[in-house]
Amino acid sequence: MAGIGFELRRLADSETYFGLLRAYAYAGVIGSGPWVLSILAILILGFMSLGIVIPPVLISQFQVSVTWLIALSLIYTGGIQLVFTRYVADRLFAHEPWRVLPNLIGLLLLTLTPVFPLATAGALWLLPGTSTAYRLLMIMGLLLLCVVWVLTVLLSGLKRYGAVLSFYALGYGCAVAAGLLLRPWKVEGLLAGFVLGQIVLAIGMVALIWREYPPTRFVEFDFLSRGRLCGWLIVAGLFFNLGAWIDKLIFWLWPGTGSTVIGTLHASMIYDTPVFLAYFTIIPGMAIFLLRMEVDFAHAYDRYYNAVRDGGALSAIRNHRAGMVIAAREGLLGILKIQGITLLFLVAFGDHVLRLLDISPLFGPLLMLDSLGVMLQLLVMAALNILFYLDRTRNGALVTLLMFVSNASLTFVSILLGPYFYGYGFASAMLITALVALTLADRTLNHLDYETFMLR
Amino acid sequence: MTDQRTDIDITLLLEGTYPYIRGGVSSWVHGLIGGLPHFRFACIFLGSRREDYGGICYELPTNIVYLGTHHLFDYADKPPIKPPRLSGEAKGLMSDLHIALRSGAPGTLDIRDYLDDAGPFGERAFLYSEAAWQYITEQYEAAAAEPSFVDYFWSVRNLHTPLWVLARIAAQLPPSRLFFSPSTGYAGLLAAFAARHQSRPLILMEHGIYTKERRIDLMKAEWIRDSRNIIQRDPTEVSYLRELWVHLFEVIGRLTYQAADPIISLFDAARTQQIRDGAPAERTRIIPNGIDIERLSSLRRPAGPPPPVICLLGRVVPIKDIKTFIRTAQILCDALPEAQAWIAGPEDEDPEYSAECHELVNVLGLGEHVRFLGFRYLEEILPKVGLLVLSSISEGLPLMVIEGFAAGLPVIATDVGACPELINGRPDEMPALGAAGRVVGLADPEAMARACLELLIDPEMYADASQAAISRVERYYDRRQMLDTFNTLFRERLGSDG
Repeated sequence: MAGIGFELRRLADSETYFGLLRAYAYAGVIGSGPWVLSILAILILGFMSLGIVIPPVLISQFQVSVTWLIALSLIYTGGIQLVFTRYVADRLFAHEPWRVLPNLIGLLLLTLTPVFPLATAGALWLLPGTSTAYRLLMIMGLLLLCVVWVLTVLLSGLKRYGAVLSFYALGYGCAVAAGLLLRPWKVEGLLAGFVLGQIVLAIGMVALIWREYPPTRFVEFDFLSRGRLCGWLIVAGLFFNLGAWIDKLIFWLWPGTGSTVIGTLHASMIYDTPVFLAYFTIIPGMAIFLLRMEVDFAHAYDRYYNAVRDGGALSAIRNHRAGMVIAAREGLLGILKIQGITLLFLVAFGDHVLRLLDISPLFGPLLMLDSLGVMLQLLVMAALNILFYLDRTRNGALVTLLMFVSNASLTFVSILLGPYFYGYGFASAMLITALVALTLADRTLNHLDYETFMLR
Repeated sequence: MTDQRTDIDITLLLEGTYPYIRGGVSSWVHGLIGGLPHFRFACIFLGSRREDYGGICYELPTNIVYLGTHHLFDYADKPPIKPPRLSGEAKGLMSDLHIALRSGAPGTLDIRDYLDDAGPFGERAFLYSEAAWQYITEQYEAAAAEPSFVDYFWSVRNLHTPLWVLARIAAQLPPSRLFFSPSTGYAGLLAAFAARHQSRPLILMEHGIYTKERRIDLMKAEWIRDSRNIIQRDPTEVSYLRELWVHLFEVIGRLTYQAADPIISLFDAARTQQIRDGAPAERTRIIPNGIDIERLSSLRRPAGPPPPVICLLGRVVPIKDIKTFIRTAQILCDALPEAQAWIAGPEDEDPEYSAECHELVNVLGLGEHVRFLGFRYLEEILPKVGLLVLSSISEGLPLMVIEGFAAGLPVIATDVGACPELINGRPDEMPALGAAGRVVGLADPEAMARACLELLIDPEMYADASQAAISRVERYYDRRQMLDTFNTLFRERLGSDG
């Protein structure tokens, strides 16, 4: 009889979209891996000077060299870290685990090829007055760090935090031990120890990935296929790392605040010590943040999308959304509480601690300010995490862009205003970014039901 | 596509039928166009998806001056995800529109409202606006049960999106002096949109009852997810989402009824159903199908006792209830051992059911008596048959009954669709022509066999029934007469368009 047959099955099948959403969650681990670990590494290397066996000048040359390597490699791989983690999550979701390693190798080939000539050129022209061995070790170190960051983010994205921490302990343990053994060869010896540590670290992580996701081919460039890479994630990763380092870079390179330490590598005596110490103070906040985000928020997120996907009633969907809001709020409050206590502690005992570490108490005020800035940066990360969990990659990218632009411009302004204002640039940039990021996260959570159903 | 858009007299809106799909309605449309060569027709075919259809199945008469093909569920052109900026009243307006649509108010047929991309009734507003979201969630909460929200949401989307597709098609249709839709449903709504848009009259005809057919489809549809679990599920209660779909077709039907004049049906029971479904009684009208009586009259057998052969003409599918026919054959053969029962129709539509029917014949030991003939031409089969039998559980106006009548064959049929008025005549039949067979209850093989036996063994009674069949078909179901009726109707409506 008359009538269009009911060929609507295809349309009723709205499943696929929600399935994919899960994969985005993995990208939510932005920066938390390498960012913290690199800061810790720099601090640990600094403590090597506490034993008087190594002269402080050597330590500072070595520390500055490694800091530059870490900063440059993080910025360079920033875009790739996130986008590749997301690619791996998608492949695992599509049940194609064998694609992980060949594409990792493909990605590293592609990204490291330009690094090599660039690093060589840099070693030739930017490191005058250093030995050939030093230059070669710097090139190797840069390449290895690029590899290590990608692997670290990948493993954090796969929630292998335990393994990552063990490998880091092993790698940096080797670096310190080898550094001590090789100290007769001065800075070259220390650097060789560091490079050795990175080799151990890289091999360990590749082996783990190999075991978990056995490959079927050596190299593959599937990640370049259309629709496999998300452009906004590249922007987000790049500007997050640029934003986190730009104030340091400016202080290093500005004539009045930075000075040459080795080759043309600069450091800033006034700025570096307090800011790296400040990063040390956020470890408790970081722990709270990871716990709340990865446990409470992730569970609420799962419950929410399960309710959406598996045909929950609207009231249940709304309840779970409220659960996500509560988890996010608890996480943010947790950060504020614990960092508030840390700040109070610094106010009361900051000078004692500095004296204990044999650091001038003149750094006290700057340390306070940087601790505040770092706490705000943690809030930015929390908000970014929410945005990435909910697949708002575009907004996430815009937040990191704001972080970069404001940190660059306000740090510059603070330098022009004079020493009294050092640190205010970083802190106020993080305050602005945190406010914007939290507002965006709040709006996203508030409109989540509507946007999930109507705008996807 | 013939691109001769000028001077179209009548535009036909054809949902999933002519000229791409063969079938009863398609043949009827083909006959109508060919039989009224002085009108210039446009055919607008409305399909589900392009890939569901092959080529044109008919040789198009030369008076089709325009053929347009559209597909409702080719979603290639979904608007980009960008919520429109709506005024604060948008949600209220949506709610008002919904109430108006449900009541079938004619003001809701203005397609300019739906095609206003930035307005509250535009497709973007429905798909992406926060107002629509709030309205949808409110409607969901107003429903007593709490069905799966994702299923509800997508059902609502899928239910509504054809509205904008139809509005867009309606806006593109070439100018026509009259619109004619042989069904309600999507085609009916398209016809109502177009007629209103061009301020031209609309004639609606229903060969079956579209809403009822969709209801049956929907009950069987597996793609509507029923997310209730075993405890929540009450087998007597139709799932809420199915109910939504049924409701949609009821609303569409009512809207089309409101816009059409006249509203034609094939037989009286169908007319009553239309009125029940919201058609204004004064606009309803019956124009039965007509057939080429002359062609079939040559098949009439000379007077004399009928051959002891009963025959079912139709596809072997559950709705025809072939199993009741087989049981009838068994009872009949017990009383009349020389009796034969033939089933003439294709068996490929529901192979599982066909196999069951063959199995039943074997189990009952009727191999000698029951024969499956496959598809046969009327000329080949009707002269050898004594009685036609129709055991269907649902029918409209079955053509095979009229054709049997034209060949002088009485018919034993179940009490469905137009069968009672075909066999016993309409109450207003003057003078009454008598019974052209027997009407029996559904799935009652004993009564059916009794009726067959009665006519087969009593030549006098058989001759009376045969005569009544011929007289009735000549009086009411003549093709020339039907064409005359439509000719007059079209002329009248074409003249009244101002």
